[in-house]
Amino acid sequence: MKILIIEDERKTADYLLQGLTEQGCSVDVAYDGIDGQHLAVHHDHDVIVLDAMLPGLNGFELLRSLRAVKNTPVIMLTARDGVEDRVRGLREGADDYLIKPFSFVELFARLQALTRRGRLHEATLLRVGPLHVDLNARRAQREGLRIDLTAKEFALLELLARRQGEILSKTTIAELVWDMHFDSTTNVVEVAIKRLRAKIDAPFAAPLLHTIRGMGYVLEERSTNS
Amino acid sequence: MQRRSIALRLAGMFSAVALAGFALIGLAVHELLARNLAHHQQELVDDRIQDLSYMLEHGRSADLVDRVHDKIAALTGDGRTQYWLWSEDPAWRYGVDPRNIAEVTRSASGMLRMPVGAGQKQLAVAGIDIAATPAHPPLRLVAGVDTAPINQILRRFEIRLLPVILCGALLVAALSYRVASVGLRPVAQLSADARRIGPNTRDQRLRMPALPLELAEFGSSFNSALDRLDAAYTQLESFNADVAHELRTPLANLIGQTQVTLARERGAVELREVLQSNLEELERLRTIVSDMLFLARAERGERAARCVATSLSHEVGKTVEFFDVLLDDAGLGVDIEGDATAIVETSLFHRAVTNLLQNAIQHAPRGARIEAHIEGTPEGALVSVSNPSDPVAPEQLLRLFDRFYRVDASRPNSNANHGLGLAIVKAIASMHGGRVFAHSQDGIMTVGFTLGGNRGAGEA
Repeated sequence: MKILIIEDERKTADYLLQGLTEQGCSVDVAYDGIDGQHLAVHHDHDVIVLDAMLPGLNGFELLRSLRAVKNTPVIMLTARDGVEDRVRGLREGADDYLIKPFSFVELFARLQALTRRGRLHEATLLRVGPLHVDLNARRAQREGLRIDLTAKEFALLELLARRQGEILSKTTIAELVWDMHFDSTTNVVEVAIKRLRAKIDAPFAAPLLHTIRGMGYVLEERSTNS
Repeated sequence: MQRRSIALRLAGMFSAVALAGFALIGLAVHELLARNLAHHQQELVDDRIQDLSYMLEHGRSADLVDRVHDKIAALTGDGRTQYWLWSEDPAWRYGVDPRNIAEVTRSASGMLRMPVGAGQKQLAVAGIDIAATPAHPPLRLVAGVDTAPINQILRRFEIRLLPVILCGALLVAALSYRVASVGLRPVAQLSADARRIGPNTRDQRLRMPALPLELAEFGSSFNSALDRLDAAYTQLESFNADVAHELRTPLANLIGQTQVTLARERGAVELREVLQSNLEELERLRTIVSDMLFLARAERGERAARCVATSLSHEVGKTVEFFDVLLDDAGLGVDIEGDATAIVETSLFHRAVTNLLQNAIQHAPRGARIEAHIEGTPEGALVSVSNPSDPVAPEQLLRLFDRFYRVDASRPNSNANHGLGLAIVKAIASMHGGRVFAHSQDGIMTVGFTLGGNRGAGEA
């Protein structure tokens, strides 16, 4: 994934650069609106992360001039929580927005969602190591043993399996499994994960469902102890 | 802009009224005087006619003509009176152009005023016909009296009346300015009272007993406006303190833990542990800040956008489903009663119901039933969540929706909600043109909110 970050706040830009590079993305960074506009217009990126408040040329102006020539997906970062900023950003052609302070996991999930659009590969049988998830039969089994899951547990497992190896935040999980579109402070997701883990991991030797403290959950087969 | 003085305006208006009144009285007096003087003039003319007509009617002597002329000469000696006699007999004629004046006075009844003679003196004239007697033929006797003296009286009166009226009006102006200034003293006191009110003397109010009737309503509404501002100010103050307090704990943890960790060489595993723990604290900070910003948006009057007509029972059902695992763990059940369609932003609605359910789950005893009640109202809809609970005092119910308020102050600073949950419900209600309510009765605690119909949908 080729990403352009246009952000004047150095620390933010730098950790985004490092984080996204480590996630296997190729990242360009611009620290002001003028450079950002140049890079955005003259180079091709899969997605652009654009701060709304920029020196030189602000994010909205940049977005407008970019939209005049190309349709690269743009996710806007706004510090102000005003509805005007959000509405304005979306009206000017932003594809998504995040309000500061946002979490990195959240940003990465949104970036993937934006670039994944239109290229959904529909597998019906997902495999995570010894775990098999049959989406047609709505059935899961591990090491030959059938696992009984409730509908929501299955939906949760399906999400984790489809996005295996990817850290999913609690917010993303609540959004995609329960259709709850807000930052919830409940521990519903924790409890649901705990229950799922009891079914898919507890009876077996190697855990598949891992907690990344402070970030979220990931379903993957880890070869050695980590 | 030049500010207008009430006292000056009042004085101006009073003196205008006085001027008009005095002028009317003056006019009336003037009219009365003019009438009296006219009457007097008529009498004068009549007297003059009488003087001669008696002689003409009763005189029988042969030289009556001469005697009449002598009498006229005597009577006109003052120069103010003039006589005319008209007869077919030229011997009886007297005065300048008597025929003409006899005709004129005959054609009009009563007294006439007309200019006469070379000096064009203004005269009041009247005439009578005197029947023929043996001593003289039929006569027309006309007498005229100079109007100048009477006109002079009127003129003098007018000349004096004008300054009297003007002086009177000025006097009234001065007096009423003084009176108005005295009358407006309560206003000065009001502003003195108001001047004393400041950020550090917020308990000061306008002194109501001192205020006159006309200012009492202003005073009381001003005072209640101050009460409201004071309450908001106090809330804001304590709120700032609360925010600082809420942020202090995670910040202290972050700083302390980081310092302790950096004081020694640590292995990668230990460092990761610390970073993860820090991340949790930071997430907590982020949630507080995001929630605060959300509340601030609602407080600025932002309304829910992206509203759609929705079956509330369906959305409450979805939210309850979200809580399934928690309800199951706590051995609780939720009954959804009623339904209504309202125009809401579903994500906000979910959030409000989530917070209500979360609140109910925290307070309901194990194994209890929670009831989610929905009903349509004329304005929109009402959603409430009830759970069995210990009775809550009314003053606590009032504060339930305050930010960072916790019914149970001793409850550990749990990660869930930060005491903002119900404040957020309130914000969401107000974003939909609704309000929140809470009551505690017969061991059942009910917390809910209303939705204000389509009012939230107007804005896009």
